[in-house]
Amino acid sequence: MTSATDWNALADEAFREAFRDLVERRLPSELRFIRKQRPLFDEVSVWYHALAEEGWLAPVWPVEHGGMGLTPAKHMIYVEEWGRLGCPRIPDHGLGLIGPLLLEHGTDEQKAYYLPRILTGEHVWCQGYSEPNSGSDLASLRTAAVRDGDAFVVNGQKIWTTLAHCANWIFALVRTSRDEKVRQKGITVLLIDMTTPGVRVRPIANLRGETDFCEVFFDDVRVPVANVVGQIDQGWDVAKSVLGHERIFLGATTRPEIAIERLEKLARARGAFEDPAFRSRYARHRLDLYDLGSAFERFAKVLRDGGELGADVSMLKIFTTELYQRITEETLTLAGEDARYFDDIEAGNDQVDAMNLFLDSRAPAIFGGSNEIQKNILAKAVLRLPS
Amino acid sequence: MPQSIFDDSEGMLAMLRDSVATLASRQPGAASVRQKRAAGADMDKVLWTAMAQAGWTGILIPEDLGGAGLSLTEQAVVSEALGRALISEPVATGAVFASILLARADASVERGRLVAGLVDGSLILAPAWKDGIGRSVSARAADGGYMLSGEKRHVDLAVSATDFLVVAALDGGFGLFSVPAKGVGLSVETAHGVDGAAIGTVRFDQCWLPQAALLARASSEAELLDAAITSARVALAAELAGIASRAVEITIDYTKARVQFGKPIASFQVVQHRLVDMWSDAEFACAAVVNAVETLADGDAQAGRMAVLAAKARAGDAAVSICRRAVHLHGAMGFTDECDIGLYLKRAISLNATLGQPEDLRLEFVNLERAA
Repeated sequence: MTSATDWNALADEAFREAFRDLVERRLPSELRFIRKQRPLFDEVSVWYHALAEEGWLAPVWPVEHGGMGLTPAKHMIYVEEWGRLGCPRIPDHGLGLIGPLLLEHGTDEQKAYYLPRILTGEHVWCQGYSEPNSGSDLASLRTAAVRDGDAFVVNGQKIWTTLAHCANWIFALVRTSRDEKVRQKGITVLLIDMTTPGVRVRPIANLRGETDFCEVFFDDVRVPVANVVGQIDQGWDVAKSVLGHERIFLGATTRPEIAIERLEKLARARGAFEDPAFRSRYARHRLDLYDLGSAFERFAKVLRDGGELGADVSMLKIFTTELYQRITEETLTLAGEDARYFDDIEAGNDQVDAMNLFLDSRAPAIFGGSNEIQKNILAKAVLRLPS
Repeated sequence: MPQSIFDDSEGMLAMLRDSVATLASRQPGAASVRQKRAAGADMDKVLWTAMAQAGWTGILIPEDLGGAGLSLTEQAVVSEALGRALISEPVATGAVFASILLARADASVERGRLVAGLVDGSLILAPAWKDGIGRSVSARAADGGYMLSGEKRHVDLAVSATDFLVVAALDGGFGLFSVPAKGVGLSVETAHGVDGAAIGTVRFDQCWLPQAALLARASSEAELLDAAITSARVALAAELAGIASRAVEITIDYTKARVQFGKPIASFQVVQHRLVDMWSDAEFACAAVVNAVETLADGDAQAGRMAVLAAKARAGDAAVSICRRAVHLHGAMGFTDECDIGLYLKRAISLNATLGQPEDLRLEFVNLERAA
C-alpha cells in the first residue's frame, strides 16, 4: 500500500480489514493493550515509525503532506479500530494539534519544515497552553514574549503540559501585548525548540503515580520571530480553530466501556449479579452506556453525511466523563475492603485494576475544558441564555 | 429545540410535525386537558375525531386493512409532536396498541369492523390487558360462545369505549376477545388519573360472547401482547421525549423573562447549568427514540426489544425529571394549577408509569442481555 491509495474509496469493511492487517503485521504484541495511558515516545517509537512507513500515521492530514486525507467517517473507523485492537497511544500532539494548526495557519516554509519532521518522529511536540493561574480562564495567561530584534524573549511558566518530558518542541500561547478591554487580544502562538537554553521541564506525578504531565519553565528563552504561527497578537483565533470534527472523540464511549468491562468481571467473580441491589445499580450504568452510544451515533451520522458538528456535541463529553466516574466508583464499592489496595485486585482467576481506573476517571471531567466550562459554553452557544 | 432526527429526504416527517402543530394551534392541548379533567372524562372526542380524520389513529395499520401502512418512524414523529403540544389523548394505547393487536389477529368480519372503526374514528377501542390482582380474566366455552369473568385495570378510554380488546386465559392458553361496551355483565368503574383523564377498571361478570368475538389465540400471553407492547412503548417514549423537549423550551423562555436582582434569572450560572442538564437529558431521550425505531427496523428481534426498553426508560426518566426541575425553576408560579408546566409534569408521570417504569425496563434489558 502506498500513500497514494484512495482510502476513502474503500468500503468501510475493507478499510477496517486493511487497518487490522497493518496491526497484525507491524504492532509488536507486547505493545498491545498496555496499561500505560500516555507512553513516552521511546516506548512506542516502533509503532510510530511503522505507521509512518505504511503511510498510516496522519489519518486526517492531506495526502500531499503525507497524510491519508481521510473523511471524518473513515477517521471514525480508524479511531474505533485503534481502540478495539488495543493499539497504544502515541505522542500525538504533532499529528493531531500542531499539524492541523500549521496546515490552516502556517506559512509554506513552516509547513515544509515542520510537517515532515513530525512524520519522521524527529520532532516530538507538546502543547503549552495552561499556566498556574490560567486554567479554565486561559485568556488570562501571562507567559511573556518581548520583541528583541528578530527574536522574542520568552519568560514564564506553563503547566499540565502533557508529555513535555519526551518532547523537543512546544507550541505555546504567549502574551505579546496587553489589551485592557479584550484579554484575548495580544496572545501569540509561538513554536519553541525545547533544546534552546532557558527551557526547563519538571514532570509532575499524578494520582495514578504516573508522570503524564509536566511544568515547563521559560527563562529568557530566545525564539526567532519566524516561529510565530499566524499573526502576532492574533493567536487566540489560531488556537481556537484547531479542533473540528475531532471534538466528537472527546465524547466517545471508550472509557466507560473499559470501566464497565472491569465492573462486570469483578461482579461475576463475586456473584454480585445475584444481588438485586447491585443489579439495579448496574442496570443504570449499563443503560447509560447504551444510550450514550445512541447519542454518539446522532453526531456520527452528521459527520458521515458530510455535515459539521455544532457546539452541542460537547454534551457527549460531559456525559461520558461523568459516566466513567460513576462506573469506576461502583467498582470500588463492589471491591469492599479490597478498595484499600492501590494495586490490582483479584477477580476469580483474573485481576481488575479498580483503583487505577477510579483514579484515572478523575481526569477527563477536567481536561479538554472542564465540564463546568462546557456547560457555560452550551448555555451561551446552544441555549442562547443571557449573560 | 431537541428533536428526534430521522432521515426525511422527502419532507414527509416535517409535514406530519406541521400538521400536529396546526391542530394544536386550533385546539391547544392544555385547554383540552383542563376541560377533560373538569368533566371527569377519559378523552376529548373532538380532538380524537380530528386526529382520526388526519389519519393518526391508523398510522401502523397495513394498507390492505384500510390503514395508512406507515412505520414506527411516522408514529414516533406524530407521538413526539403530540407530546410537545400536550395533546393528551391516549394514542399509545387506544391507537397504537389496538392497531398492532388487530393487525396480528386472524382475518375475520369482526376484525374488519374494528379496524375500519379505529381508522375512521367511528369506534373507540380500549385494549384491556392488565389483570386485577387476584381477579385475572378467564374465558370458558359456553352456549356456542365464550363466558368471560374477572377484572382488568389501568384501562384507558374505558368510559368512551365502544369495544374492548380483552386478553383472557383460555383452555390453558390465551385468547384476544372483542367485547362490546354495552355487553351484559360488563361494568366500568373510574378513578381520576393524574394527567386529568379518567382511568377505568373493567369488570366482567359472566359476560357472554359469541364465537366470532375470539379474534386471536396463542399459547402464551406474551405471544399475544409482545408486539403491541413494543410498538406502544416506542410511541410512549416518543411522546415522553416530546414532553421533555417542550418542557425545557418553556423553562428557558420563562427564566429568560423572569427578572430578579435586576437580571433575568437565566443569566445566573446555577440556573444555566441546570438548564443545560435538562436540555442534555432531552437530547439523550430523542437519540434513544431514534435508536429504538432504527434498531427495530434492522430486524434483529432481541436487539430491537432491548433498544425499545432503553428508549422508554430513558425518555420516561428524562421527561419526569426535566418536568420536576422545570416546576422548580418556575418558582411558586410552577406550583400553581394555572401554569401549564404542572400539566406537563403530570402527563409525564402518567406516561412514564404506563407499560413499565424505567427501573423495571432497565432490569428487563439487563436480563435479556445477560441471558444471551
